[in-house]
Amino acid sequence: MRYIPSTSEQQKEMLKEIGVSSFEELLTSIPENVRLKKKLNLPPALPENELEENIASIAQKNIDFYRMKPLIGAGAYRHFIPEAEKALLQREEFWTCYTPYQPELSQGTLQAIFEFQSHISRLTKMEVVIPSIFDGASATAEAVLMSIRLTHKEKIIISPLLHPHYRETIKTYVEPHNIEIVELPLQDGATSADMLKQSLDNNTAAIVVQSPNFLGGVEDIQEIVEITHQNDALFIQVIVEAMSLGLLKSPGNMNVDIVAGNTQSFGLDLSFGGPHNAFLATKKEYVRQLPGRIVGETKDRDGKRVFVMTLRAREQDIRREKATSNICTNHNLNVMAGNIYLSLLGTEGLYQYSLLNFKKAHYLEKELLKSGKFTNPFPYPYFNEFLINYQGNIEELRKRLIENNFIPPLSVWQFYPEEKFRQSLLFAVTEIFSRDELNKISNLLSQ
Amino acid sequence: MKLIFEKSFPGRIGFSKPTDLFDDIKLEESIPIKYLEKNKKQLTEVSEVDVIRHFTKLSKFNYGVDDGLYPLGSCTMKYNPRINEKMAGLANFSYAHPLSFPDMAQGSLELIYRLDKLLCEITGMDKYTMAPASGAHGELTGVLIMRKYFLDHGEKRHKMLIPDSAHGTNPASAAMAEFEVVEIKSNENGTVDLESLSHAMDGETVGLMLTNPNTVGLYDEGIESIQKIIHDKGGLLYYDGANLNASLGIIRPGDAGFDVVHLNLHKTFSTPHGGGGPGSGVVGVKSRLIPYLPTPVVALEESSGKYYFKDVGEKSIGMIRSFWGNFSVLVKTFAWILSLGPEGLYECSKASIINANYVLAKLKEYYKPAYDRYCGHECTLTGREYKKYGIKTLDIAKRLMDYGFHPPTIYFPHFEPYADETIMIEPPESEGKEVLDDFINTMIAISKEAKENPELLTSAPRRTPITRTDDAMAVRRPILTYDDELRLKDELNYQEKDINF
Repeated sequence: MRYIPSTSEQQKEMLKEIGVSSFEELLTSIPENVRLKKKLNLPPALPENELEENIASIAQKNIDFYRMKPLIGAGAYRHFIPEAEKALLQREEFWTCYTPYQPELSQGTLQAIFEFQSHISRLTKMEVVIPSIFDGASATAEAVLMSIRLTHKEKIIISPLLHPHYRETIKTYVEPHNIEIVELPLQDGATSADMLKQSLDNNTAAIVVQSPNFLGGVEDIQEIVEITHQNDALFIQVIVEAMSLGLLKSPGNMNVDIVAGNTQSFGLDLSFGGPHNAFLATKKEYVRQLPGRIVGETKDRDGKRVFVMTLRAREQDIRREKATSNICTNHNLNVMAGNIYLSLLGTEGLYQYSLLNFKKAHYLEKELLKSGKFTNPFPYPYFNEFLINYQGNIEELRKRLIENNFIPPLSVWQFYPEEKFRQSLLFAVTEIFSRDELNKISNLLSQ
Repeated sequence: MKLIFEKSFPGRIGFSKPTDLFDDIKLEESIPIKYLEKNKKQLTEVSEVDVIRHFTKLSKFNYGVDDGLYPLGSCTMKYNPRINEKMAGLANFSYAHPLSFPDMAQGSLELIYRLDKLLCEITGMDKYTMAPASGAHGELTGVLIMRKYFLDHGEKRHKMLIPDSAHGTNPASAAMAEFEVVEIKSNENGTVDLESLSHAMDGETVGLMLTNPNTVGLYDEGIESIQKIIHDKGGLLYYDGANLNASLGIIRPGDAGFDVVHLNLHKTFSTPHGGGGPGSGVVGVKSRLIPYLPTPVVALEESSGKYYFKDVGEKSIGMIRSFWGNFSVLVKTFAWILSLGPEGLYECSKASIINANYVLAKLKEYYKPAYDRYCGHECTLTGREYKKYGIKTLDIAKRLMDYGFHPPTIYFPHFEPYADETIMIEPPESEGKEVLDDFINTMIAISKEAKENPELLTSAPRRTPITRTDDAMAVRRPILTYDDELRLKDELNYQEKDINF
């Protein structure tokens, strides 16, 4: 086996040194009754060339996803990834190493994480950043648990326009604890401040609002943060489309308490929904209740600036059942990817890309509305995703898009089974679409 | 080394400029200004060349499995095959949108479905969920399944038994399910003390979370009694798969009575650790627990031969993340299993067990083992006897770096009186004999240095990019972003001389 260097001769020598005559003697502490007595019933080993053909043939059962540009987002966005990022991520030093417990041998990873924290802090205007939770949904659930620890209150209010998977994940994480979850009723394309006022009480730990929300709308965060704070509750903003951070007002400038942000849009493949990465950002005063790992700056014995994992007294390997979370392995390589991506884009690039996402989405919406076949159900401001109602046959529309190599937009009906959403489509338009393509799409759908 | 922000130069760009800026769409006509940030967010301004050089240099400050032995105990730092990476990177996989119609993603769905079957055969379980993103995430999923099972059967069980040798994630995960953690002491053999276990196990107890071989590297010889004690009282047995690398083709958790298992695909199944993830912590269960798995799972419609997402039903614990799993990690796992076949998997475990016992046999004279008996795929030694020379186990670990090795896991597991000052060494199957001999000779040389020239150890490492770090200062005065550093410099008015920024 090419992954096992020692030959059977060498293994025999080693067994001799150990002082046994056979490998079996090393296994005597496994009771005979529970030993596996047959060979595993698995396909025989494939040579590398056959393996490659075999798996490629499975992949070919997917449509040609590279060619098919998605008009669907809904929590996973296709953005262009610069080749320089991909090339740097190939460096084995970044991806074959472990969690950076030994700072002397992992300054590369540690400094990159520190830089990512700094990037996110500047993008969100929040003071402290946990760089890596698995994804936006689990990060949001961790933010909710954190808000309960901070307030010792027992009620959580969630916006109906939070991504459905995120809402489900919060419920799963919170279920064992004695916590009431109130999901506000869905009215239209934005979280209702009136409904929120009615639900908020002095037992409310936090309110969770996604902006831009699941139907694309940019929420009036400032207004609802104020209402939330008047009731001594914490405000958690969820950001699913990180690209919006390049343009929209920073959570920190709106007095948001905790931000849970999915960073898939910062240089990560779609990869059928995972792995993503998410950050948690908050105020310095809440740092002791943060889950997960964080990197800080210090010095080494020579007085050099160096980076280490820090504030570790919150973590499971030290505090065990009293830890702020069980999280251990996170998604650090995706932090590396995000950091490289943001470094390449820089101040100007992130702004331009973000602006292009905005403009291209608005261009397509405008063109679609011109045709008279579409109407806008909720005229809220949006970033790069918009909800639109189609007057024609949705099946037909889908077919036409697929035939022309576009993945159709999301039918919102599958997540909000209400009559008013029967004809509603959620379009996501990122910078990857050209004007010609957008014109082609609007022509196709205007016939 | 400078931060990327310190390399910024006004006007430099590292991205390729789009040609059509869509100037016909006016920002201010499309969104009220109050929703927008007033100024561009300040990141950095560097060229693509700057970025390539910056991160290439950073990479040289790291040590990976490709650089040499990485014997971290309970972490299984084995070789990450290149073909796996290529397979996961196939465009049809990597560009697949998770909400595209099942018809469009039959290949991705088939791979998930077939991986489930392979993992079931390897571990003796009945069904897997691919959703969990890491080992700890798998543990949380597993304990929530156990919790839901008892609720569904009208039982209120609130305690979870966990051996003192367990990973910290076990008690932390149990606490997230609101279970009270009851610690079970290890016996003089380093395994679960059966008397304590049967004393602790009762009708209010969910069950036991067990790693096997455990974190000391020892198979629990009492596994049959353990499962009987737990099951007789109606409990469930949880298998922490962190150490599965000692078991492939040898013993299956499903046959040994485990009801729920999580596997760290980034350990046993060769997918890379990535400097701390992403990995995958898939969870397998016995048939009676299938109704409680996270939703959805992939199913096959026999009549049409089509794969689809199936809702698990109302008993499901629900979703534990967005979408379906860390898919690219699943592709790598699938590729690895197919590369090895049944004999290859067995050979992996065999080679790793021989490696660990070889290291143990050669080093036990110099570093007293926590338990002097044959081990599984890792061995636990101690650095106790060097205390009298003023040497801590940490010093031994740091000195190893000067010889070009990544140190083993140290100070874990920790339980008195057997396991303190521990050095847990896991030399996986991808390490050949001559690499182990080098390591062994180095460890012996260090033991000599500890006695004769301890300063070499306490001042180590000297041959790494940096020397030992002041971790206490990092906590005392947290600098968590570059802007923190700038503020601090400002406050101190550049007076502080003890950090060379």
